[in-house]
Amino acid sequence: MDMTQERLPSYRTSSARPSPIGSVFEAVREIRGRRRLIRYLAQADLKKKGTDTLFGNIWWVLDPLLQMAVYVILVTVIFARSQPAYPLFIFAAILPWKWFTTVTTDAIQSVSGQDKLIKQLQFPKIVLPAAAMLGGVLEFSFGMIPLAGMLLIMYPSYISIYLLWIPVVAVVQFFFSFAFGLVLSALNVFFRDIGNVARHVLRLWFYVSPALYGADTVATVGKAHPTIYKLMQINPFYTILNSYRNAIYYHTIPDLKGLAVVLAASFVLLFFTTMIFKRLEPAFAKIL
Amino acid sequence: MAATSFESSRYAVEVHGLGVRYSLRLTKKNTLRQSIANLAHRGNDEKAFWALRDVTFHLAHGESLAVIGPNGAGKSTLLQALAGIITPSEGVIDVRGHVSSLLMLGAGFDQELTGRENITLVGAFMGIDHREMAERSVKMIDFADIGQFIDAPVKTYSSGMRARLGFAIATNVDPDVLLLDEVLATGDQVFREKSMARVHELARAAKAIVLVTHDMNWVSEFCNRAMLLEQGRIVAEGEPGEVVAIHQKHAEEIRLAKAAEAAALLGSSIGTAMGLGISKLPTGLPGQDPKKKR
Repeated sequence: MDMTQERLPSYRTSSARPSPIGSVFEAVREIRGRRRLIRYLAQADLKKKGTDTLFGNIWWVLDPLLQMAVYVILVTVIFARSQPAYPLFIFAAILPWKWFTTVTTDAIQSVSGQDKLIKQLQFPKIVLPAAAMLGGVLEFSFGMIPLAGMLLIMYPSYISIYLLWIPVVAVVQFFFSFAFGLVLSALNVFFRDIGNVARHVLRLWFYVSPALYGADTVATVGKAHPTIYKLMQINPFYTILNSYRNAIYYHTIPDLKGLAVVLAASFVLLFFTTMIFKRLEPAFAKIL
Repeated sequence: MAATSFESSRYAVEVHGLGVRYSLRLTKKNTLRQSIANLAHRGNDEKAFWALRDVTFHLAHGESLAVIGPNGAGKSTLLQALAGIITPSEGVIDVRGHVSSLLMLGAGFDQELTGRENITLVGAFMGIDHREMAERSVKMIDFADIGQFIDAPVKTYSSGMRARLGFAIATNVDPDVLLLDEVLATGDQVFREKSMARVHELARAAKAIVLVTHDMNWVSEFCNRAMLLEQGRIVAEGEPGEVVAIHQKHAEEIRLAKAAEAAALLGSSIGTAMGLGISKLPTGLPGQDPKKKR
């Protein structure tokens, strides 16, 4: 009947702390063991975001479209610069960028927002940022609806087999976002102004990433300022956003070498941020 | 059933030399600015506070222990440590079996979700298999007895209803060790009796219970042992009646001391007022409230 529950004697001392590398494996086990919980949390969050609004979850479709409209008006009307199918050009970058900002802000709040529960129940805290990540994936998948709509209605000539590269780029972005959000979720427990700092950093990050402009603009900047060009290329979103645009707008194979480098770097980063998270985890209940 | 697997060990809970230390530097709600300021004088790091120190006790199966003491004595910290929510700074805690800890009953519920959804969520947080949880939720809903509210968001609940649901969950997950904090603060008479019966039932089924309460009737009536905590240390332990007597004596002493202090302050301020020739005393005398700290 209830044999599924573990009934092993538990033994705790103050000195029993796993090694840093052991803690990473522990985190992987925790995420695997609590898949269902992560799913519940992500679902609950989506449900909450949908209620109390007039249009409910239609906002996921409307939000990126409206954001795109703002930039299209700004760039084509005010700056009077344009290129063919500019809305699609912008949308290809805004959709993944919105995913990144949402997931980062959600992750920052994920641990400190559950302070009451953390003080009442013992559970692996890593499920909280993990649920924020899963919620982001779902939201991004919903974003594919307006993208598909745009392609079918406005730009049928842009439909190509290269669209299948989108999930590949998304996987790279997922691991980078996870690594980044994980460490911020833990730090926000200690410093509640991480959220404020992140908001501004994200805004700056958006403007230095090729979202409103393309790689060609970056290259033009590069001719005048070689150092800035180098810095802009280090930005993982230089590779990520360009790759989305390759798949959606230019119909070329994304920069696979660049993506592989970003993915590898994200794995290394994820390893370290998991270590930091696990190291800080025991203090959460005391500080919240 | 479940208890049979523990016959080899006499104790459900063994605590030896437990100490929980809070670093005041970290516990403060920090902003980056304060932290940078703190880095500057990092040398005097000794701003530590022991919420619990040298706590040693055992709890056998079937025992129910009441933990009493004034506010800030470390009662809730003890429960948190037993539940594994906070790691001890020193000493050893050995808890055998499955611990159920919905400490401040219902405070951790997700306000936007319904009672039913919260049951599922709490079960998943506790790591209970979802099929098993589905079976148990029937019993939980039945026990909580909040009618149609079970499908309404928890934010619409009264505090009593929230506590009932919390109690129903905590006591129906088949715990070997049940930790309860201030269970009886809320809830009407009928539910109080019902929950009392349930705790008795669990105690009979060889479960160990640790209960933090301010309700002294409960301590003597129901728990078979009691422990008095003061400033993080065990002051008395044993027969509930005796421990409650000590607690009440201490509480009375503190009350008298505070009253004397207040009287002294009041007396001196009247004296000053008279001396200055002021006929009317200002309302809301400053220094009168002994609890007011700077």
